[in-house]
This record gives sequence, C-alpha cells and structure tokens, in this order.
Amino acid sequence: MKRIGEWVPALVVFAVVIAAWEGAISAFHIQQFLLPRPSDIVKTFWTARHSLWPAGWYTFKEALGGFAIGSGLGIVFATLVGRFKNVGTAVMPIAIAANAVPIIAFAPIFGAWFGEVSPHSKMAIAAVLCFLPVMVNTLRGLQSASPRQIELMRSYAASELEIWRRVRVPTALPFVFTALKVASVLAMIGAIVGEYFGGAFNALGVLINNGAQIFDFVTAWAGILVASLLGLALYGAVAGAERLVVRWAPDMRDA
Amino acid sequence: MLRRTATVAAAVLALAGFWELYRWVWTTANWGWPFHVDNTSMPHLWTIFEAFGQPTQVNQPALATILFHKSLFTGKEALVGFAIGALVGFAIGIVLAHSRLLQRGFLPYIVASQTVPILAIAPMVVVWVNPKLPGPLQGWGAVAVIASYLTFFPVTINTLRGLRSADPRALELMRTYAASRWTVLWKLRVPASLPYVFAALKLAATASVVGAIIGELPSGLQDGLGGAIINFNQYYSFEPQELWATNVVAALLGIVFFVCVVVAEKLVVRRAPENVA
Repeated sequence: MKRIGEWVPALVVFAVVIAAWEGAISAFHIQQFLLPRPSDIVKTFWTARHSLWPAGWYTFKEALGGFAIGSGLGIVFATLVGRFKNVGTAVMPIAIAANAVPIIAFAPIFGAWFGEVSPHSKMAIAAVLCFLPVMVNTLRGLQSASPRQIELMRSYAASELEIWRRVRVPTALPFVFTALKVASVLAMIGAIVGEYFGGAFNALGVLINNGAQIFDFVTAWAGILVASLLGLALYGAVAGAERLVVRWAPDMRDA
Repeated sequence: MLRRTATVAAAVLALAGFWELYRWVWTTANWGWPFHVDNTSMPHLWTIFEAFGQPTQVNQPALATILFHKSLFTGKEALVGFAIGALVGFAIGIVLAHSRLLQRGFLPYIVASQTVPILAIAPMVVVWVNPKLPGPLQGWGAVAVIASYLTFFPVTINTLRGLRSADPRALELMRTYAASRWTVLWKLRVPASLPYVFAALKLAATASVVGAIIGELPSGLQDGLGGAIINFNQYYSFEPQELWATNVVAALLGIVFFVCVVVAEKLVVRRAPENVA
C-alpha cells in the first residue's frame, strides 16, 4: 500500500490545475463553447446524471465484454502457442506486425459484421484491440522463464505441468498484468470509437459526439469525464488485482 | 533476410488462404454465427485487389492512386505527430526522472490522460488549434497534435524506466569521478535508456497512425485515410471492397511506420533489452 503522504503532490497538482483552468477562463474571457469551466462540467455531470450515467454504464458493459473476450482469448491462445517453442517463435513476428496495424480503421467493418447499432460490434472492436497486446505479452512472459530455474526443476524430476505452474506462470504474470492494464484502457477507447460509427442513442460515445456536433461542449466534456472515470476504474481494478496476485515484482508497480 | 521475407510471404499467404477458406465454409454451411458471411461482409480477396485498379467514380484516377495520395497525407500527419510526441515524451521522461516529487505529482495524470477518449476531444482540439496555426498547417496540423497525444505516453513511461535502469555500479563510478548530473545523464542514463525508448517508439509509431486516422474522423478532413474510411463506409453495402482496400492501405501504413522504427533501432541500439514491450 502506498502511504497517504505520497499522494499529496498529486492532489496539489490537481488543485492547482483546476484553479488555473477556472482562473484562465475568467481572466481571458474564453468562450464556453471553446473550453467550459471545470465547475460547469461537474455541474452537468450531476444535472445530466439521468442520461449520462446510464449511457456510461451501457458503454462500459461493451468495453468490459470486449476486454474479457479479447484478453481471455489472448491468454488462452498464447498459452497454447507457448507450449510449442517453435510455433511460439514463428507466431511472434506475425503477431507483432499485426499489432502495428491501426485496428481502429476496421471499426466500420465490425459495424457491418455485427450490426452498426448493436453493442456486439463495439465488443468485437474492443476485443480485437485487447487481444493482440495481451497475446504478445503473455507469450513473451511464458518464454522469458529462466532456463536455469527450469533446469533445476527438471533435476528435481518435476513434471512439465509443475514447471509450468511454478516457474513459467509466475514469470509470465507481471507481463500479463502489464498488458491487461494497457488493454483496460484500449477497451474503453475501442467502445467509444466504435460508437462513433453508429451506436444506440443512449450510448456514451453517441452522447459525446452529438454534444460536440451541436457545440454543446459542456455535455461533451461531462461525457468525457464519465468515460475517463470508467476507464480509470477498470484500470484501477486490474492494477488492484495485480497487487494481490503479483507480489514479487516491485519494479513493475510504477507504470 | 531472405528467410525473414519467406516467413512474411508464407504468413500473408496463410492469412489469405484462411480468409477464402473461412468464406467458403461459412457460405456453404450457411452459418450465421458470429456473423453472416456473403460478398458484402467478406468480399473475395480478388474483388478487393481489383478495386485498387478501378476508379471509384467516372473520370477519376484509380483507387490505388487516390489511396496513395491519401496515405501520404495521413502519413505526414502521423510523422509530425510522432516527432512532436516522441520529443515531448522524452523531455517529460527526463524531467520526471530527476525529481521524485514531480513524479508523484504528475505521473498519475499522465497515466490518467490515456483514459481520455481522444476521439471525443478531437473536435474540440481542432477548434482550438486550427485558428492558431499558420496557413500551410491549417487542418492537418491539429490532427498531428492529436496524433502526438497518443504518441507521447509510451515514450514518457519507458524513458523514465530506461533512465532508472542504468547500472548502479556505473553510477557509483561516475560519482567517484565527480561527474556532473548532466554528464551522468548523457553519458550513462540516456544510453542505458535507449532500448526502452525504442521499445516505446515502436508502440508510438503505430499509435501515431491511429491518432492521425482518429483525428481526421471528426475534423471533416477529406484528404486523408480517415476521411476515406468515413466516405467509403457510407457506400459499404454497394461497394464493400473500397472500404476494405482503404483498410489494407491503412494497415500497410501502420506497418511501414513500425518497420522504420525497427530499422532505426537496429542502427542505434546494439544491446537487446530484456522486456521489449
């Protein structure tokens, strides 16, 4: 656990930024449609809660579904492929190249496949976005087990399953969690981008987009606040799980 | 090199074969799950490749020519965004590495900044940035800024990690020679950080292309791949192969950016990092 004192600088920065934001708008007479006041955004966040929060929950469910499917398949696939060393080394460059593809560009095609308005198309985008980094990192984690540790286990006549459970998985876990944290953020962004190409009227991405289009930027910003909070919540949940599960890799904590 | 090329060719062929096989199985068995397969949802590969050679409208150049120019435009946005993001990210990383206090104050927000859906703030960024830009940068300059927003994050995080990864014994040695902070930074910490920085630049290369495409969507720019995706998406039920062709080009652009960084890394870094993320 981090001590409370470590959070003081972050809180100070937060207070200063918000005060400067409010002050700059008053001092330079910045128009509301360019940049709304933080206090107005928070006000809208509350007054529009009956439309914003359910919309956030709707989009969050899409992101969560995509995150679960994509990350799950990524871990399963990497585990299967990682069993065979040659297959693993062959798959790796292909997976890395695939990771360099801007998947977001395929969002409209997922709309055409799974229904433009349907939440399934957003889940599919989020799942594909999550799959690649989780797969690549899990595979890398499984391959990075120290050969000396494996030798030692073998010399104790440990079975392959036991080596897997006691050496390979513990080595891979920090890698997996690093990827899961990346994926948690990607899932939420994927769902919102998917909604840009058409989504249910009560979806968060549609709400933000409509707000921006009619220059109702306060609502758009309040929607962005909801999206960020939900993204942070998912990230925080994964980071919390990491602390519970991975206790032996202190240098992975910072990022 | 030859072997690498052969592997890539084999992988591409395998993917193409899988595509057509999947098509064939799903259409003959008439399976509707996970989605209905027909010429609209999964056009034949040869239809997609034919589309490159044909004009989209009468009296217009072939789709391949159009997409080539559009990818140059998006590539320009992505490249500028990549450069800005990489420099800013590296600078933030260096500053944060020197102060535990600044790290505690700002790092949480740098992480949080990536949960902000960039697509949602893109229209506002365009409204802010565009009036301040000189004529030749109008329009695409704002998109480059959006691309840099996605680029800086991995570079900052990995620069920070890389600067910390310097060998403690080497640090001790530098101290016994009374080396200044500046010398330690440039002679020891920065070289130690390079493998990490390049790992991040590889992520950033893709992120900059993603950022450029996403940034074009709400800004109404028609000159790039993002504009083409919106445009061809509207005609998807009639001409699905045009959207597919656009996406093939977008994918190639991402891979080209990635490969450029890999080549640069090979030239600069001789030591392989343990965790290339």
